[in-house]
Amino acid sequence: MKYFTKKLAGLLATLLAVSFLVFAAFAVIPGDPATAMLGTEATESRLEALREELGLNAPLMVRYLRWIKDFLRGDFGNSYRYNMSVMSMIRDKVPVTLTLTAISFALIVLISIPLGVACARYAGGILDHVIVVANQIIMAVPPFFSGILITLVFGLILHLFVPGGYVSWQQDWLSFLGYMIFPSIAIALPKSAMAVKLLRTSILSEMKLDYVRTAYSRGNGTRAVLYRHVLRNALIPVITFLGMALADMVAGSIIVEQVFNIPGLGRILLTSISNRDYPVVQAIIVCIAFLVIVVNFLVDLLYKAVDPRITLE
Amino acid sequence: MLDVIDLNLEFHDHLIPETVVYDFDLHMEPGEIVGLVGESGSGKSMTALAIAGLLSRHDMQKQGRILFEGEDILTCARSRLRALQGDDIAMIFQEPMTSLNPVLPVGWQVEEALRIHRPQLGREERKRRALQMLADVELEDAERIYRSYPHQLSGGMRQRVMIAAAMICEPKLLIADEPTTALDVTIQHQIVQLLRRINREKKTAILFISHDLSLVRRLCRRVVVMQGGNIVESGDAETIFCRPGADYTRKLIEAIPKCEKGENAPSLNPGDGGDKTLLEVSDIRISFAQERRSLLERRKIRQVLKGISFRVRQGEVLGLVGESGCGKSTLARVILGLNRQDAGSVAHFSDCPQMVFQDPYGSLNPAKKVGWILEEPLRIRGGHTPQERRERALAMLQKVGLGPEIADRYPRQLSGGQRQRVCIGAALMLEPKLLIADEAVSALDVTVQDQILELLLSLKEEMGLSILFISHDMRVVYRMSDRVLVMRDGQIVEQGSAEQVYFAPSHPYTKQLLEAADLGGGG
Repeated sequence: MKYFTKKLAGLLATLLAVSFLVFAAFAVIPGDPATAMLGTEATESRLEALREELGLNAPLMVRYLRWIKDFLRGDFGNSYRYNMSVMSMIRDKVPVTLTLTAISFALIVLISIPLGVACARYAGGILDHVIVVANQIIMAVPPFFSGILITLVFGLILHLFVPGGYVSWQQDWLSFLGYMIFPSIAIALPKSAMAVKLLRTSILSEMKLDYVRTAYSRGNGTRAVLYRHVLRNALIPVITFLGMALADMVAGSIIVEQVFNIPGLGRILLTSISNRDYPVVQAIIVCIAFLVIVVNFLVDLLYKAVDPRITLE
Repeated sequence: MLDVIDLNLEFHDHLIPETVVYDFDLHMEPGEIVGLVGESGSGKSMTALAIAGLLSRHDMQKQGRILFEGEDILTCARSRLRALQGDDIAMIFQEPMTSLNPVLPVGWQVEEALRIHRPQLGREERKRRALQMLADVELEDAERIYRSYPHQLSGGMRQRVMIAAAMICEPKLLIADEPTTALDVTIQHQIVQLLRRINREKKTAILFISHDLSLVRRLCRRVVVMQGGNIVESGDAETIFCRPGADYTRKLIEAIPKCEKGENAPSLNPGDGGDKTLLEVSDIRISFAQERRSLLERRKIRQVLKGISFRVRQGEVLGLVGESGCGKSTLARVILGLNRQDAGSVAHFSDCPQMVFQDPYGSLNPAKKVGWILEEPLRIRGGHTPQERRERALAMLQKVGLGPEIADRYPRQLSGGQRQRVCIGAALMLEPKLLIADEAVSALDVTVQDQILELLLSLKEEMGLSILFISHDMRVVYRMSDRVLVMRDGQIVEQGSAEQVYFAPSHPYTKQLLEAADLGGGG
């Protein structure tokens, strides 16, 4: 129980720190929301009136505390640009990005575990060589580029989906998922390649350990030894990587959403930054930070589940 | 039951094939215990693995025949081999911690062979048999052990679990590869008793592989001695022990430190040092917070050292014996200032005491050459030209009995004995007056161990060293020490001159240790 309270306190502290950093950063960097809203032609008096209205003239700490208070009440403030509440802007974007991340993550697990095991099992063989080389190539290709390639191959040549033809989940969740598969592949490919490489190395070093010999001595075949004995041990370093990858994917979906024209958190973040629409940016960054911290927490729990030697302290 | 005929094992992983086992022959009757003795590199483990059908490396060539009840293990199909493994032939290994899968519950692992070879059994029946087996290997509270994980058990308990897992299908042949080497003497004793009982009650034949001749003598009627892949001698255990035929066997027996009165190398007359104290440890106490078993439990404090006091005089070897977990390594760390004590004090009356550790493989930086390692203490202290450092390193190599060419080798290119010499050399670079040797010879073969002990004793004379010699091995401590401390559970239960402690022990624990070590058999 103590572990959870400690963890929860850490989570809140991190969120607070992140939110303050974001808030302070936007106060420091040049650029003025009032100018951004009214345009450079606006008169000084109108700008000043607007600044007063938005509360931009109050000291930083006061503004921050005011923002935190509203935030805790679920009021994320209003967009400077669209004059609507931030909450209503991001409410239906969060599930989109989360779905994208979830599918990508599932793909990574589904691709990397069997391939990693196969690589290790036939290490030095043809399959292993092919996968190792393919891995190198895929790892070197950034997601936005593989996104473009996937659009080209699956969309324009094979006509498996309509590029840019995003269907929202409220309209038709099946077509929504069908469309989301492809950007997910773009995100998952480089990460899977890394996971395969990591798992392969991890399994190969586990295979040298004594308990593997014991497992063989009881009459297990190679397959049983790999899946029943080695895999769980070999997954421990891979879980660390997957945790980091997951956090990275939540934050990194921005570019892929752009390429595939998906109205997720990433896109709205990008437009808000260029519009200096600070309330939106702040809310999204805090959301992403929250997700990342929660993911880390889940990874800790997963560790414990996989390796009984780990105690949560 | 088992017939090994002209077994030859050859590695092909280098350009020149390397034969590890030559013309090995062995015949075993059902229910027999045979000992296979040899030092590391003698090919005994390779032979054992071949018999268990566990040598499946592609770069290995196997010739000859291993007939198990008339069936050739080397040529039979993989599926047939798998059917034998764990059912008729079972194996236990040296390191029970690493030989058990760390992430699976003990019960699961004990049941595994049943799941593979007796698929018709239901879950309930499997569990019943596993619990029965755990109780059979004399583990108390089998139900709890069944649910625990390997890291929650002690070394002796883990080896019992290994034995239970191996015996669950009642195999006809149990191959035991150094099953007691990693264990404390008293536990070692118990495991040997257990194996003997299993052999008697279940009529399981045991092939017992060990480097420890005196242990083999206690357990086995028949012994095969191997050296460099060859059988040098085989026959009745008593005969071999009392009247060894081969030179090598004689050497092995002689390398076992004797525990007879006057056989240790005392330097009761420490020469110039007189009665000068080098180290005074008084009333050291240390405790660690223990892990909680459940989240609700209060954190327990475990006292590791409960008030330890002693002195090391100049020129003497002070032996410290105790079993694992008694706190002897923690004590060494406290003396060196690597651990902070809760109470008590350590007073040094000499500069920079140095330490030699147990594992000569792990204690040397694998990325650096020996010369660099030897020079390091000088480099850290500063005030020497590179030339001087080099010269001193080369001189030290000579002192520890190694040639100057070793300076340009990496640790991995050296044998265990050579590495331990390097460790000792590195410890002596700053010419300390006090050397702390923590299980410094425990990982070495008997004959190598003998040489290292000899080296330590001669360096002691030459450099006027005092040595705090920490070991679990009663024989070795006797051979080395002028005075002996016996430690148990963080306390010194007995101390006195070596003769006194070994031949007139007053504490029951000392007596128990001496009995388990079976010192009489050394001679």
